[in-house]
Amino acid sequence: VRRATLLLVLLAFVAVGCNGGTVDQHALDKDSEAIDSLACEGALLAHEIANTASLTTFSRVHAGELYTRAANFQDALSTRPTTPRIEQAVREEAKKAGRIAALFDQLAADPSSPRLAAKLEPRFVKQGECE
Amino acid sequence: MKIFQVALGILAAIGGFVDIGDLVFNSAAGATFGYQLLWVVVIGVIGIIVYSEMCGRIAAISKKAVFDAVRERVGFTAGLITLIAAQVVNLMTLAAEVGGVAICLRLLSGLPYRWLILLAIFALGVVVWVTSFEWIERIFGYGGLCLLVFAVAAIKLEPDWGDVAHGLVPHLETKDTLLYFYFAVGLLGAAMTPYEVYFYSSGGVEEEWTEKDIGLNRANAIIGYGLGGFLSFALMIVGGALFLPQGIEPETLGSIALGAQIPLGETGLVLALVGILLAVGGASIDTLFAGAYNFAQFFGWEWGRYRSAAGAPRFTLGWMVLLVLALGIVITGVDPVQLTEYAVIFSVVALPLTYLPILLVANDRAYMGSYVNGRLANVLGGVYLVVIVVISLTAIPLMILTNVGQG
Repeated sequence: VRRATLLLVLLAFVAVGCNGGTVDQHALDKDSEAIDSLACEGALLAHEIANTASLTTFSRVHAGELYTRAANFQDALSTRPTTPRIEQAVREEAKKAGRIAALFDQLAADPSSPRLAAKLEPRFVKQGECE
Repeated sequence: MKIFQVALGILAAIGGFVDIGDLVFNSAAGATFGYQLLWVVVIGVIGIIVYSEMCGRIAAISKKAVFDAVRERVGFTAGLITLIAAQVVNLMTLAAEVGGVAICLRLLSGLPYRWLILLAIFALGVVVWVTSFEWIERIFGYGGLCLLVFAVAAIKLEPDWGDVAHGLVPHLETKDTLLYFYFAVGLLGAAMTPYEVYFYSSGGVEEEWTEKDIGLNRANAIIGYGLGGFLSFALMIVGGALFLPQGIEPETLGSIALGAQIPLGETGLVLALVGILLAVGGASIDTLFAGAYNFAQFFGWEWGRYRSAAGAPRFTLGWMVLLVLALGIVITGVDPVQLTEYAVIFSVVALPLTYLPILLVANDRAYMGSYVNGRLANVLGGVYLVVIVVISLTAIPLMILTNVGQG
C-alpha cells in the first residue's frame, strides 16, 4: 500500500512537471483561456480604478501580480517546443500574452490615474475578447 | 456567560474553517461551474460537524484528543503512517497559510513579499508565544467575521436565486466530468481538512471541557461550522455571479478580494483583505498548534498551550520547528495558492486514518461510558467514512487526470 501511494505521489509530480514540456493543442487551448482570463480581470481592475475609489496599493500590487503571470505565459509560449502545425499559433499567443503584460505594466506603474485606467480598460477587453 | 462561550467557539470555528484552501477552491469552483457544486459544501459542512462533535465529545468525556485515539486504536505502525501523512499535509498547509498572510500584507502595504514572509513568521511566533487562547480566538475569530462582506457582495451581485437553489441539488451540467469531480473532492477535502479536528479536539482538552460542556460542544460545531459553510456559499456565489460570466479564473488572493470590491467598492475591498488576512492568520495558528499537538500526543509528551514553555518543552519546540520549516518552504517562492491545492488534495488521502479512530473511540464504552455515539451519529459517521474512503482513493488520480484542476 505504501509503495502504491508513493508511486501515485511520484506520478502526480511527474504529471505536473510534464506541463512544462511540449505544447500541444489542448495545452494551447488551456493557456489561451488563462491568458484571456488575465486580460478580462485586467479590464475589471481598470474599470474599478477608472470609475470608483480604489486602494492604490492594492491596485499596484495586484496589477503587478497579473503582469508577472502574463509575462510568464509570454516567456513559456515563446520558447517551449510545440507539436507540428501549431507553432505559429503558440507564438502568436505568446505575443498576445506580451501585449497583455505590457498593459498590466502600465497599470501597475500608475494605479492612481483614472484617466490611464479608462484608456487601458477597452484594450484589455479587446485582447481578452471579454464580454 | 454560556452564550459568550458559544460565541467564542463560533468565532474560532469560522477562523478555522475558512482558510486559504476554502477561499481558493470555493471561488474557483464558482468561477468554473457556477452554483452547481453548492451541494458539496452542504455535504462537507455536515461531515465536519458530525466528526467535530464526536471528537469534542471524546475530549470532554475521556480527556483524549484525536492523536491519543489514533495511537491507542490503530497501533503504532498505522499510527506512525497517519502521523507522517498528517504532518506532511499540515506543514504544506501551514506554509500555504503563512504565504497567504504575506500576500494579504503585501496587498495592503505594497512591501516586498519575502520581507513580509519573515514578518508573518515573526508575528505568528510572537502571537503564539504571548497571547492567550481566548485572545487568539477573539482576534482571529472576530477578524474572520469581516469575511461576511462576501455574503453582502453575493447578494449585491443579484445572482439568479433559482439557479442558486438548484445548485443545492446534486446535478451535472458540464462535459468536463473529471474536472467537476476534482472540484467536488477538493471542496470536500477543504471542508473536512484533518487539522480542523486535531485543533478542535485538542482545544477541548486544553479548555478542560467536561460532560457539562457537551451541549456547548454541539453548539460550537453546528453553528460555527454552519457559519463557515455559509461563507463558503458566499464565495462560490461571488465566483459564479461575477467571475464566470466574464471568463475570469480567480487564481490569486487579490482576485478573490476583487470579488468584494466590484459590488461594494473600496470598503468591500478593505473588509475582504482584512477578513482574509485574519482568517488565514487564524488558520496558520490552528495548523501550527495542530502539528505540535499531533507530535506530542502521539509520542506521549507533555503538551498544551496553557502550560509554560518549560512545562511542555518538546511541545513548544515542536511548533517552533514547524514554523521554521514552513518558512523554509514558503521563502523558496512557491505559490501559496498552488501549494494549498496540493495540500488539500493530499489531505484527502489522509482523511480515513484520521476519522476512523474517532468513530471507533466514540463507540467505545470504556472511553465514553454512557456518552457513546447514538444511532444518528453512527449512521452519519459510517456514511461519511465511506464517502471519505471513496474520495481518498480518487483524489490523486483526479489531480493527475485534470492537471491539478487546469483541465
